[in-house]
Amino acid sequence: MNLVELRGVSRWYGNVVAVNDVTMTLGSGVTGLLGPNGAGKTTLLHMMAGFLAPSQGTVTVAGQPSWRNPEVYRILGLVSEREAVHGFLTAWEFVLASAKLHRLRNPQDAARRAISLVEMQEAKDRRISTFSKGMRQRTRVAAALVHEPDVLLLDEPFNGMDPRQRMHMMDLLHHMGDTGRTVLFSSHILEEVEQISGTVQVIVAGRLAASGDFRTIRRLMTHRPHVFAIRSTDDRRLAVALVGEASVTGVDVATGGLAVRAGDYGSFTRALPKIALREGIRVRQLVPSDESLESVFSYLVQGTAS
Amino acid sequence: MALADGVIHDIGYQRYTGPRLGRRYAAVSLYLHSLRTAFGLGRTAKAKIFPFIVVGLAFTVAAIAVALRTQSGNVIISYLQYCDAVGIPLLLFLAVVAPELVSRDLRAHILPLYFSRPLRRADYALVKLGAMISAMWLVLAGPLLLMFLGGVFAQKRGASGAWHEFTDLLGGLSYAGIYALIFSSIAVLVASLASRRAVAAASIVGVFLVTTPVVGVLQVLGGDMLRQLSRMIDPVLLIQGLSNWIYRTHTMDIAGYGPVYLAAAVLLVTGCVSLLVLRYRRLTV
Amino acid sequence: MALIQTQALTKRYPRVTALDALTVDVEPGIIGLIGANGAGKSTLIKILLGLLEPTSGAVRVLGFDPGRDAETIRARVGYMPEHECLPPDLVAAELVTHLARTSGLPRTAARERASEALRHVGLYEERYRQVGGYSTGMKQRVKLAQALVHDPDLLLLDEPTNGLDPAGRDAMLALIHRIGTEFGISVVVCSHLLGEVERICDSVVAIDGGRLLRADRVSAMTVERDLLAVEVDEGTDELAARLGQMGLPVTRDGRLLVVPLESDDTYDLIMGAVAALDLPLHRLDQRRHRVAELFAAAPRPAAGPARQEVGHGAG
Repeated sequence: MNLVELRGVSRWYGNVVAVNDVTMTLGSGVTGLLGPNGAGKTTLLHMMAGFLAPSQGTVTVAGQPSWRNPEVYRILGLVSEREAVHGFLTAWEFVLASAKLHRLRNPQDAARRAISLVEMQEAKDRRISTFSKGMRQRTRVAAALVHEPDVLLLDEPFNGMDPRQRMHMMDLLHHMGDTGRTVLFSSHILEEVEQISGTVQVIVAGRLAASGDFRTIRRLMTHRPHVFAIRSTDDRRLAVALVGEASVTGVDVATGGLAVRAGDYGSFTRALPKIALREGIRVRQLVPSDESLESVFSYLVQGTAS
Repeated sequence: MALADGVIHDIGYQRYTGPRLGRRYAAVSLYLHSLRTAFGLGRTAKAKIFPFIVVGLAFTVAAIAVALRTQSGNVIISYLQYCDAVGIPLLLFLAVVAPELVSRDLRAHILPLYFSRPLRRADYALVKLGAMISAMWLVLAGPLLLMFLGGVFAQKRGASGAWHEFTDLLGGLSYAGIYALIFSSIAVLVASLASRRAVAAASIVGVFLVTTPVVGVLQVLGGDMLRQLSRMIDPVLLIQGLSNWIYRTHTMDIAGYGPVYLAAAVLLVTGCVSLLVLRYRRLTV
Repeated sequence: MALIQTQALTKRYPRVTALDALTVDVEPGIIGLIGANGAGKSTLIKILLGLLEPTSGAVRVLGFDPGRDAETIRARVGYMPEHECLPPDLVAAELVTHLARTSGLPRTAARERASEALRHVGLYEERYRQVGGYSTGMKQRVKLAQALVHDPDLLLLDEPTNGLDPAGRDAMLALIHRIGTEFGISVVVCSHLLGEVERICDSVVAIDGGRLLRADRVSAMTVERDLLAVEVDEGTDELAARLGQMGLPVTRDGRLLVVPLESDDTYDLIMGAVAALDLPLHRLDQRRHRVAELFAAAPRPAAGPARQEVGHGAG
């Protein structure tokens, strides 16, 4: 079931259009919401969470509109980017308060479950002001999870975390996605998104530029040649052979290997093994060098700019 | 046919092999930069408005003094009286400039950039103080010079009169220095404790004002000694006391406490400067 | 001569030990300083600059002791702090010139080098505007320019890509790489993002809880393993079956097929199979270790296949 649906959503502030005609659906699993700074990610998240009304279009969570609908908070949890947490509270007190605010029947149990989910059992009776950034974030995630929502929205959750804290958080989000929840997190650091989620929604200047698995998105970008890095036992001879191949549009020869630009992905990837075998050249490495989320992203940004 | 000459110049990164001038030069650079900041030079036009108004007013008062003198033939406003008249309103100048010099750096968190250079923390503190003292002194010194020129032309005793005028000027300049030294020490210390300029400005004015009622109460309470000593809490009265003793101006009854006023002033200044240096030494950047 | 040397360097605060008997030798080059937030890395950088005093232990930077010769060191080191540190109402060119002079450069040299430094970091006519109006990327570049302006022998950059979007990040990393390789200046880069570190650093110092976790060359940490990963755009099952028939043990990792690299023949066998089946070959790569493995937590029971094992693309 697609839990979160946006249809033709726009949001403007006077002459500034923050979000421009976005249609997307989010199902279970983890999705990364991606975009440069100021692209509209936070605005989108706030509309999904019911804090902002769309100027146009509809935002529904489990079939219900999220705006002016307190019921939606039964199934939705939001961890926003900047939030003042009362440092004098302990983690336990903070999560328990959240459970009580949700009017859960058994707030203590819910709080305990949420805290064990984020693995903060040992630290739960310490004051939040003594926590590291990662622990603070996890506490806030626990507070957002205490009512076991089906949808969890996180705005820049990895901001300022170090590698180990990030890994913990990534594991946690993945675990939640694996158990059927819909998790959406925003980030402008592609390395994080790449490691946690193959599924992305890319926002550029308020418009939805691409959705889905980023590798698949790359294949769809047929107007850009694919670039492969190749290392073999005889790079130069291989280069000569490749230039003769119709699907190849360019070959760069460097000391580390070849960079081959292929206009037709399908033809090239089938032809390469055959060419190598025919020439008696052993290929040691074939790697698509622009398939990283970073490249895909920069292509999308440039593409929409031109 | 010969080919024409052509060459591509190397404008890649060049290493620097010139002189590196060390701590003192760095301190002097910071001093000059701070002095320019005090008068809004090198920044937007808006930053120049207030200092130039102040300078304008100071010169106007001096011009009036000169006019009065040429009209009447007598000294109506002496150099020392000028300092008293303008020095106290200059408190406002201090309240605006000291935060510009010191609070602004705290707010912008630029100190790590300074302290990771060959400039000691104490150097920074003393340079900023020095710039404030210099700025305040300059605002008084310029008009004093104008009064001197006016006075020299107005007086009728020739060379000896000019010399007399000159020694009076020196007295005025040194008195201005005393004002600058004492006022700045307090103001810069207070400003270094606040990172918001408005808060620092209000605090500076507050520190100077709060002593007045305290002194007033003490004056009523006690006997002679208390009356004399209590004056030293108020920087303005302290300076007045000093001027009575050093320049024999007879505006106040100091009853032989002159040296005590001096000691108190020295104590105040050294105390403020030490605290200022301590403040920057203890700051975590 | 080692660039930076520490010997049992310790920094203790009342409630926390920021550095705990850290002993490491750092050679010139581009060095990544990675590890947990706050305490370890920033404390080390401040001690190197003489901004903090260690509780015990010895440290030498460029051969000098920051306790005794802090000024000598600071004249030859450039520092780019992590946080915002630029006064908003100064023009960039003015600011960098002023800081150059505070570093000891004479007036004309300061002005010229400031102009050059701004050019090298890619700020052109923007340098005549006030810093307050700059974007994050531009501010980061000004910070870098002021660290470079006095031609230091060592640059200390604390999270230089903080707050930058992907394009800005790319530009900054490329610049740092240029500085470290072309300009001949050693650079210490603090970063959270291990991908960045792998990309531009020669060696890595990893600190965990104030202690040295590992110090090594990046090439040693990203050593190839004896496994080959193959990815075809379609027909993965067929290929797996064919390779199995050929006697190659195959494990599946999502889209990838992983085959142990017995000998060089393995490459040819795989190529042959792919060609024979007329499959589109998307990737053939030897698996590598990653710097991230230093920080790997114990695997969760519910976790899927190890996500760190992404085949590492070139560049």
